Amino acid sequence: MITGKLSVDLHKLAKFVNLSLPIITIAFFLAGLQLSFYFHFLTITAFFLTIINTYYLYAQKGHAILRNFGILAQGRYILESIGPELRQYLFASDTEEKPFNRTERVEVYRKSLDMDSARSFGSLHEFDATELKIRHSMFPCDKSAHIPFSLTFGEERGIESTYTINNPVIISGMSYGALGRNAVRALARGAKSAGIPMNTGEGGYPKYHLMEGCDLIFQMGTAKFGVRNHDGSLSEKLLEELASDPCIKMIEIKLSQGAKPGKGGLLPKEKVTEEIATLRGVPRGADVSSPAHHEECKDYSSLTAFIARVQTISKIPVGIKLCLGNLSEFREMVHDFKRQNIFPDWITIDGSEGGTGAAPRAFIDRVGMPLFPALKGANDILLEAGVRNRLKLLASGKLISPGRQMIAFCLGANAICTARGFMLSLGCIQAMQCGNNTCPVGITTHEPDLQHGLDIAVKAARVNNYVKNLNKDLDEIVAATGCRSINELSFDHLYVPAESTLAPYIRNN
Amino acid sequence: MNLKPTTTSWFAQIVAVIIMGQTLVFKFTGNEQSIAIFEELNMPYGHLIIGSLELIACILLLLPQSVVYGAILGSGLMTGALIGHITKLGWEGERGKLGLLAVLTLFCCLSVLILRRRQIPIIKGIISEGELTKH
Repeated sequence: MITGKLSVDLHKLAKFVNLSLPIITIAFFLAGLQLSFYFHFLTITAFFLTIINTYYLYAQKGHAILRNFGILAQGRYILESIGPELRQYLFASDTEEKPFNRTERVEVYRKSLDMDSARSFGSLHEFDATELKIRHSMFPCDKSAHIPFSLTFGEERGIESTYTINNPVIISGMSYGALGRNAVRALARGAKSAGIPMNTGEGGYPKYHLMEGCDLIFQMGTAKFGVRNHDGSLSEKLLEELASDPCIKMIEIKLSQGAKPGKGGLLPKEKVTEEIATLRGVPRGADVSSPAHHEECKDYSSLTAFIARVQTISKIPVGIKLCLGNLSEFREMVHDFKRQNIFPDWITIDGSEGGTGAAPRAFIDRVGMPLFPALKGANDILLEAGVRNRLKLLASGKLISPGRQMIAFCLGANAICTARGFMLSLGCIQAMQCGNNTCPVGITTHEPDLQHGLDIAVKAARVNNYVKNLNKDLDEIVAATGCRSINELSFDHLYVPAESTLAPYIRNN
Repeated sequence: MNLKPTTTSWFAQIVAVIIMGQTLVFKFTGNEQSIAIFEELNMPYGHLIIGSLELIACILLLLPQSVVYGAILGSGLMTGALIGHITKLGWEGERGKLGLLAVLTLFCCLSVLILRRRQIPIIKGIISEGELTKH
């Protein structure tokens, strides 16, 4: 039936191309023979394409589409390969990208560039049944009544070398290995000028973190890189040496992390350079996988004992970081702390949404409790047990903007940690290639060519701006709630809709 | 003797570069015989054009990042030379020697392509199936 409509039948087109290629080759050959030898440039090109096409159609068996359609099918792979870029540049709306949509990223960029982040004509968020909101007061707090932020770790234990932070924001754990050296140094320099501490991540001896003289929280992962014996157990001598470094202010024992709770850290082999292998004490050419748990921590009491051991050796504040799976397990742990009268100086609750880390997709997507219910649950358990005043509570998990950070403070966090917020302040464009060593902005790569684009001095200033502008916004929102400081915020400052994950905690909404 | 694939490849690359490189001297200095060959093929300035392309192929073959591109260009040029000998130039005397050198260079370039097939842009993904890359 002739309808007069034009359409493209890709299968027929492919068959036509497959048939044409050898014919074109012969035609060019004849032209080369009769007209000018220069035609053989085309003969040879067409000939090579014919060979490749034959290989696609008849020799290879792994790709059905190439076997059926031949060389034309490469168009699909080419287009698919630039799909993420096209979607991000052209087609994705400002609020639909994950993990951070464009409005969220732009907020960090503008803070880092010290630009005004005021917006007009309303919110782009859905005001539906699941959005948490912050309750403001009819009588905002006066500027003069504002109490500057201050939090002292280790004061509960009465140790000599306590550590005080004056900003509620901490750079969350990113190792040298996950990040390249320029990124680490830019963050460290920015942290120093902003007066905030930086977590080293579990990447062994923090050589580049130490270069800029900022305050550091040394993270001890399950593989104990940097403080391990050859068999992977804790080396007390190395830990003592490290803790005596004036830059190392605190130690964080990483039990689990949001990107892959219940699974150890992972550095893909593409990123294991000679130097990283040395700093961590591991071989090259294979993925570096940390064990799923600390070998010293087999149950609650041995975990508590291990915390006490690290506290005794290091003589500085020691905290733990974990992503919660079960609140009942957390309750057991807190009871064991109470029974042995040993408490970590802080607990970092990492939400399962957290993580720049490389991990199997199922771990990233499906394992662990999201931050807000986990944080609220943990805070309540500590209050119930009457030990909330024995330690500090930190939160991490997509806390890149003051809005989400405020929610975390209302849920009980004393301070917040963010990794990706600071990556964005360094210029991260969310290319999501952190595990491939191909980061286009030179943050999570060791390729000198790609790191060339990341100027340490310029980006350090952006980190400083980001912290400064976060604080400015946080102070203003805290004042709007009628509170004098972050410490006064409580769950009652949140508007929690009935369908939110936090709804079970509502008393009088 | 058990040679590693990359060692064998480098050997083939160097042979190809030496053969192509020494003919460049004749092409660029305007050697009469060289000009005559290209005139016979009806390729004005052919000695300079083909010479330049051969120079590029030599350079690419020697840079570790671009070896396969050099080998692709080299095998293209040598296939052209082969067509020339088969259709127009013949294999008499000195010509036969040149033709055989072209065949040898083509063999070297093809060997490089086979040894380094996992680096060839449009087929590497298909060959390395089974070793799924991480994303």
